[in-house]
Amino acid sequence: MTATTANRAGKKKDKHAKGVGSGAPPWTVIALFILPAFLLYTLFMVWPLFQSLYFSFFEFKGLARGGFVGLRNFHELFTRYPLNEQLPRAFLHNVYFFIGTMLIQNTLGLLFARLLYASRFGKRFFQIVYTTPYLISALVVGYLWSLMLNPLFGPVNQVLKAIGLGALARPWLGDPATALPVIILVNAWQWVGFPMLLFSAGLAGIGDDLREAARIDGATSLKLFRYIELPLLLPVIGIVTVLTFIGNFNAFGIVWAMGGVNGEPAGATDVLGLVFYRTAFRGGVDAFGLASALAVLMFIFIFGVSMIMLGRFRRWEEDLT
Amino acid sequence: MRTKSVLLVIALVAILAVLAGCAQAPAATQAPAQQKPAATQAPAQEKPTEAPKAEATEAPKAEEKEPVTLTVWSWRTEDEDAYNEIFDVYEKEHPGVTVEFVPFVATDYNNILATGLTGEGGPDVVQLRAYGGLQPLVEAGQLEPLDGKVSTLSNFSPDLLKGATGVKDGHIYGVPFGIQTLAVYYNKGIFDKLGLSEPTTWDEFINVLETLKKNDYIPIAAPAKDTWMLPIIHDTVGAPRYGGPEFEQKVLAGETDFTDPNYVASIQLVKDLQPYMPENVVGVSYQDSRTLFLTERAGMFIGGSFEVGYWRNEGPDLDLGIFRVPPAPDSVIDHPLTPGWMDGSYGVNAKSDAKEEAIKLVEWMGTKEFGQMFTEKIKQLSPVPGTEPKDPLLAQFSKFYEETPASYMLLVDFRYGDPSGTTLLGNGIQKMLLGDMTAEEVAQSLQEGVSQWFQPKK
Repeated sequence: MTATTANRAGKKKDKHAKGVGSGAPPWTVIALFILPAFLLYTLFMVWPLFQSLYFSFFEFKGLARGGFVGLRNFHELFTRYPLNEQLPRAFLHNVYFFIGTMLIQNTLGLLFARLLYASRFGKRFFQIVYTTPYLISALVVGYLWSLMLNPLFGPVNQVLKAIGLGALARPWLGDPATALPVIILVNAWQWVGFPMLLFSAGLAGIGDDLREAARIDGATSLKLFRYIELPLLLPVIGIVTVLTFIGNFNAFGIVWAMGGVNGEPAGATDVLGLVFYRTAFRGGVDAFGLASALAVLMFIFIFGVSMIMLGRFRRWEEDLT
Repeated sequence: MRTKSVLLVIALVAILAVLAGCAQAPAATQAPAQQKPAATQAPAQEKPTEAPKAEATEAPKAEEKEPVTLTVWSWRTEDEDAYNEIFDVYEKEHPGVTVEFVPFVATDYNNILATGLTGEGGPDVVQLRAYGGLQPLVEAGQLEPLDGKVSTLSNFSPDLLKGATGVKDGHIYGVPFGIQTLAVYYNKGIFDKLGLSEPTTWDEFINVLETLKKNDYIPIAAPAKDTWMLPIIHDTVGAPRYGGPEFEQKVLAGETDFTDPNYVASIQLVKDLQPYMPENVVGVSYQDSRTLFLTERAGMFIGGSFEVGYWRNEGPDLDLGIFRVPPAPDSVIDHPLTPGWMDGSYGVNAKSDAKEEAIKLVEWMGTKEFGQMFTEKIKQLSPVPGTEPKDPLLAQFSKFYEETPASYMLLVDFRYGDPSGTTLLGNGIQKMLLGDMTAEEVAQSLQEGVSQWFQPKK
């Protein structure tokens, strides 16, 4: 362990020395190039972030800021009925969303990537087919599937009835038991191409010499996948996990399109993004402080967990190498 | 080493993504449909919604009249042509004044308006939501108080003006333009075929429902996926059961609350009607339910005067009638009621450059001349006394409201705080229809929710 760290530090120094030696541009030039992006980023990303932190300590009257209220908004989030019930429920739904997406979307993504890697024909075609849905807006995808799953007019139930599986026909998005799983599936349908592309790239990056060596040692395809490819995909798995986590905890469009602003039916599809939206824009006179408080908490949580995940995956990876 | 740098890049991307998410959120970028009953139908429109150019307009002086352009903001994209015709009349009567009607998509309107009123270049005259929906603008000091400045306000009853009043300061901020009322639509063709007539007692009502059901019609095309419709159904069916205006006064005075057995019984009525609603009613959206009624798969639809325009456009051949739900057994009030509310008003931007002219325009909007054109061209009920709707259905709504008025109390009195009464009851009834809550629990939840901000006037 210590050897690797020393090694890495040494290389870093090397690189640096080489940079200076080869006549890197002066820092003023570098700064000039960075400045436009930095300004835009600060103005539209960093500044609003700090602003929402600032807002979360104030009371509001419409858009006009009122007096300083300390941590009252944060306290309200967990005590005001029915927010105090909706918030934990929505959080739990985000957790389900994340777990479901990991299990379904990312596992399928890996499977498709592996199958496509092995196939000689139609590779390009299938890659395009699988990635097309994520070019469509989440809202459009949501509406499309809402129509298909409509209990009265939708083709899904009509097909089920037509082939004698009428017993399976149900109001998919109207039954609290099926609504969230259905949304997770639709979301996976839309996004499965994304992990697939990343995994494909990862698989392509694994040297053929490794595979050949394993084959010579008598590894079956399954063993090859389990003991060679999967461990070497760990960095990609880490990336996919973190991006899935961030995406799922910020989920809004697809859930809104399929479950409405209240996460229908009966809050069964409510997620943090919807709670935030309702608090901010349906919350009446004093709404923005409370909503800002929620935004701040969501940011801290998502940022914190993402960081922890990244650290964890890096350690695993180091343990393997 | 390569993987390490990749991870570093990804970490940066991750931070960026989170920052972006947080940064965008408060900026009101996403905009789900806001399906308030007051907003009537709000179909997505292709109408471009560019911000209106603020024509710098000087306040006109008494001697020389400079041409003035007044900008009117509205959430009714579908009414643009009608409003333009109406304002043409005003322009003809007031030379030198140009009125520009700028509608925005209803779902984004509240946010656009709140922002538009903060700076320069905003509108002069604004369409305002009623009751609780008005308060954020009032409390932010963005509207001009109109009492004492607009003579036509005296045309309206105090009850109506309540919807345009700042709840804290008591000033009036808008001239009411519309009212909405609730009743049951029925398909006359289906009723004739089955030999049914408008029910006048609860037993007859149940008989109508049973007959429709036996003949494979969905008796009531109710949507329970869109929770905002559920308090509407509740009030249309249950107002006499809990006591309508009598109960409203008692609740406001703190003499009783929503856990009152009569109110609980009125919620139970909705559950009792569930067998006559579409199967899996919680999966049925508002649009689905309207389609069921339009396609004659359902015999009745519980709704409001705000749907008349939709039926006329989408089903011009349908022969429709409306009736009031007869009082259920043990009702506190022994006659049917027609719940209604003030739909919205027109007010003046406190920062308008042409305030005087803007006030004159809203004053005109309180006249019978405007009210009559409004009800004829826009097919909504006008609150101006003496206006007569031409559409027979609207005329019927108007007659019902005159005969048996009541407040849709959860909208009128319980939207001043968060959570609102309509939200709580809607969510509660939905859970009741799913079998997850009893009527008592729904009433309890409503009471618990509103009591966090509602103080009865002792």
